[in-house]
Amino acid sequence: MISNMGKYLQVFKISLGQEFAYRANFILWRLRNLLQIFLIFFLWDAVFSDPDTQLFGYDRSKILTYVFVLIFVKALVLSSRVTDAAGEVSRGDLSNYLVKPVSYFKYWFSRDVSSKLLNLVFAAGEALLLFILLKPAFFVQTNLLLVFFFVVSTVLAILIVFLVMFITNSITFWIPESAWGVHFVLMVLLEILSGVLFPLDILPDKLFSLLSYTPFPYLVFFPIQVYLGNFPLPVVMKGVFISFVWVVIFTYLLKKVWGKGLKAYQSYGR
Amino acid sequence: MILKIDFSSALSRFLYYARIWIMMSKNAFMSVLAQKKLFFLFLTGKIIRFSFFGLFLFFLVQGAGGIVGYDVDQAVFFFLTFNVIDIISQFLFREIYRFRPLLISGDFDLILLKPFNSLFRVLMGGADVIDLFTIPPLIVAVIYIGGKLNPMAFHIFLYIVLIISGLLIAMAFHILVASLGIITLDVDHTIMIYRDFVNLGRFPIEIYRQPLQGVLTYLIPLGVMIAVPARALMGLVSIQGVLLSFFLSFTGIFLSLRFWKYAIKKYTSASS
Repeated sequence: MISNMGKYLQVFKISLGQEFAYRANFILWRLRNLLQIFLIFFLWDAVFSDPDTQLFGYDRSKILTYVFVLIFVKALVLSSRVTDAAGEVSRGDLSNYLVKPVSYFKYWFSRDVSSKLLNLVFAAGEALLLFILLKPAFFVQTNLLLVFFFVVSTVLAILIVFLVMFITNSITFWIPESAWGVHFVLMVLLEILSGVLFPLDILPDKLFSLLSYTPFPYLVFFPIQVYLGNFPLPVVMKGVFISFVWVVIFTYLLKKVWGKGLKAYQSYGR
Repeated sequence: MILKIDFSSALSRFLYYARIWIMMSKNAFMSVLAQKKLFFLFLTGKIIRFSFFGLFLFFLVQGAGGIVGYDVDQAVFFFLTFNVIDIISQFLFREIYRFRPLLISGDFDLILLKPFNSLFRVLMGGADVIDLFTIPPLIVAVIYIGGKLNPMAFHIFLYIVLIISGLLIAMAFHILVASLGIITLDVDHTIMIYRDFVNLGRFPIEIYRQPLQGVLTYLIPLGVMIAVPARALMGLVSIQGVLLSFFLSFTGIFLSLRFWKYAIKKYTSASS
């Protein structure tokens, strides 16, 4: 008899096994990530080629640390298998889970965690390799409270991405062929507006403050800024609170949308 | 007399393939436009990505007062030239993304039996209608920003010729990916890795440290594909640079075609 937590642990283990079954796929995916990091690293390396340069509130060590912390935060927050759930809805495979004593969300979250763990391990190896090759200036955060809030804000960012992706998956209930397109737009927005490509505070003030009303800055930009110690403690706590509020809002929205979607679901293809 | 016959035969062959390309492109367009919501979502995503990246580049280079010796207009022009090569090659060679299903199902047999070049069908069998919509505004942006660089007529001519040379190198890479696809049955990852390498050309190649800069200039000749045309318009390319570009593009096409001929002999027609 598998306990309630035990069954999700099994899902986690099986998912991890699946990732290893398609090793070449995974390694090529990581290689692609590495190339994207190259672009960002060398761009900032060139902009801050003079060690005394101060630009957009960053010095050379802080901006290159931003890129290195980005490798980890991106691996944790943005690597996700949840988009595959849209295919299960459109093919009617969701029915297999509805008749089983499992929570579909917890099932996918377990799969997501296994994917993130593997990505994190590879990201650590890549960061170490890049560090040895490029020998960048690196800023180590010694304030344990800020490190704690960095971890908390990253966990909240993981939850936000999971919830948002599941909400976009729900579109498949009504428009089965569109999930792919919606995910494409979402990934573009996540890449640009979350701070993967560049720290968002280089944007003009008005654009930056407009962005702060959306959940995007709290996914990558905010956790990294917390690590770098660029925000005073009250701003950090406010940001963590806002991230938490986004989690609550998206949880509520997901329950509503998913519930309505299940009523519209006709298990086509089964 | 012999020359006249060859010319007329080449012309009729060109028109034959042009008709096939128009027919296949029409089919591809109709298939994409049948799913209008999906079409608009992808178009929106591409426009957002292009606009935000351009804005970011503008704010960054303006704030930094230049990058590796280039000013804002020059840096933006590199980015636009990257897009010209990337978007036009995606528009023309989009069919490569649909090659793997043909290989693993054995349906590639049906293409081999048809009375036209199978490589032509694999590469150019389905132009991308989404990119067709993004090309005209991109050309307008290239003309606008390029005009601000005050190029001479000869530099504009060089730019156009070197863009064609860059597209030939892009074509050579697509042929290489298709050939590798026949041998390894993997196309999707190889083409995406190629695109990730090409993405490194969004900025002037001088931002990369050696030996990466050397690799990107000669081994994966991003420098020749993207940087050389952009520099030519700025009047910064020597005649050796132009000759190197053509040497690499023709060598690339020659070698990739040889590799395609080798790969096609390895096709097993499995699953058919």
